Amino acid sequence: MSQFYLTALQLALCLGPMAMGIFISMKVFNIPDITTDGSYTLGAAITAILMSNHLPLYVVLPISMLSGAIAGTCTGFIHTKLKIDALLSGILIMTALYSINLLVMGRSNVPLINTLSIFDIVPIFENAQLNQLLIAILIVSFLIFFIIYLLKTDFGLAMRATGNNPIMTKALGINNDRIKIIGLALANALTALSGFLVAQYQGFADINMGIGIVITGLGSVLIADTLKKWFNIKKINGQIILVVFGCFVFQFVLAFTLSIGIDPNMLKMVTAVFVLLIVALPKISQRLIKK
Amino acid sequence: MIRIENVSKVFNAGNVDEVSALKNVSLEIEAGSFVVIVGSNGSGKSTLLNLILGSFFPTSGKLFINDNNITQLPEHERSKWISMVFQNPANGTAPDLSILENFRLAALRSSNKTMKIGIDDDFVELVREKIKKLDMGLEDKLNQPIGSLSGGQRQALTLLMGVMDKTDVLLMDEPTAALDPKSAQKIMELAKEINATLGITIVLITHSLKDALQYGNRLLMFKSGVIAKDINHDEKQNLTLNEMYDWFV
Ligand SMILES: Nc1ncnc2c1ncn2[C@@H]1O[C@H](COP(=O)(O)OP(=O)(O)O)[C@@H](O)[C@H]1O
Ligand SMILES: [Mg+2]
Repeated sequence: MSQFYLTALQLALCLGPMAMGIFISMKVFNIPDITTDGSYTLGAAITAILMSNHLPLYVVLPISMLSGAIAGTCTGFIHTKLKIDALLSGILIMTALYSINLLVMGRSNVPLINTLSIFDIVPIFENAQLNQLLIAILIVSFLIFFIIYLLKTDFGLAMRATGNNPIMTKALGINNDRIKIIGLALANALTALSGFLVAQYQGFADINMGIGIVITGLGSVLIADTLKKWFNIKKINGQIILVVFGCFVFQFVLAFTLSIGIDPNMLKMVTAVFVLLIVALPKISQRLIKK
Repeated sequence: MIRIENVSKVFNAGNVDEVSALKNVSLEIEAGSFVVIVGSNGSGKSTLLNLILGSFFPTSGKLFINDNNITQLPEHERSKWISMVFQNPANGTAPDLSILENFRLAALRSSNKTMKIGIDDDFVELVREKIKKLDMGLEDKLNQPIGSLSGGQRQALTLLMGVMDKTDVLLMDEPTAALDPKSAQKIMELAKEINATLGITIVLITHSLKDALQYGNRLLMFKSGVIAKDINHDEKQNLTLNEMYDWFV
């Protein structure tokens, strides 16, 4: 397999948590949350700063996820308590986070040199790349199980019902505002986890690394959504797995575009067009079928 | 017991479209009674139910349930006493969740939704038993998304969900308006049975004067935001459909 695709696979795994986060905000809660761009970078920034100060990973990981959770809580609070449109709430926090992230990092780029990354802690394989893959697979598998479990618990049912029918959940004793805030906190904690992973994978955190990352997660969720309809998958288990699969598809398409020699500067354009296609194709094909 | 003291509700106060939906209404509903409410469109029936449910708060006046002052209590905090069957069958159930999952949440109306998996074999059996009694063949579809069922089926399930957890009051806002006659009758019979066997207080709004005459032990008629008639059980026995029609002209 060419280097392009191995990298794509690794990146897809690292971005998997973020895609699951977007699944939670967008599909479970029906909230278009774009805090993502900010909380992803926040997770990476905190990781880079703490790691370069030689804090152990078991401290860095929870703090970076917590930072994402706080960002999500802010968005959730603005959205539910101040009754401000979810998109705007997300944009506000995302914008504010740009400054926060600069403040955290102290400059626009923090490299990770001479630090032991999460991908190096258990050297099972000689080959560093295989090792990275294995660690990423373990983390993502654990998350898949965790989220599937969560969404089947009574609390998870309450989360899903809130996005599905808030009129009903209020009448069933569920505090819709509170559960939405928790959901957005969880979604952004997962996003920050992706920041944590990617910072270590690429060996640095950069103030601009989050720009447009939300579209990657969104694209993965939309791919999952299309596949879900094709294969008529109703169970939540299948849907979560499809989201991670959507991540693979997305990164592979990008890797393919790079491998055929498209200017990397055009990558965001390709991303946007690809997502547009995912969204538009089902509609276009429906229209064709009707004719 | 529900006590409503001098409750008024004004929508869009101060605007050109200001509406006085309820005007200084007082009402006491005894525990275990089955109150049927009739009245023209816009007479304030739903407003009353929504005030009890907590969808919004009164402009003035007080609301009590079992002597707890609930006037300003948010909806999710008073749901431990109150179940609601909405007019629109879609409002009472979460369409993407399965029948079982909807019932699970309904069973937890008055308690916390915790991080444990609550749908176990016992729970499945419990739900299956209850649904079987509906005689709609739904007991074999427990894992189907509830949104794939018909309005009548969803409404019947909503009613069952309303009594999955202990409740004092069951509010029903035109529960049969969207249903075919057969499903409608099933809902009314089920309500009657719930009231009779579980002693749950029912407040039901209907446009069917026939149902209003046939069901319940107290009849209220709303007119322009006030209670125009309050007919008790004995008076109701002598009431005829024609007399009721006359109320509306
Ligand atoms: N949420 C609302 N906002 C503004 N006006 C409302 C609202 N709910 C009800 N109204 C108005 O209050 C009056 C009573 O409505 P309602 O209680 O729904 O009547 P009904 O007896 O038909 O159930 C109507 O004029 C209605 O337009
Ligand atoms: Mg009404």
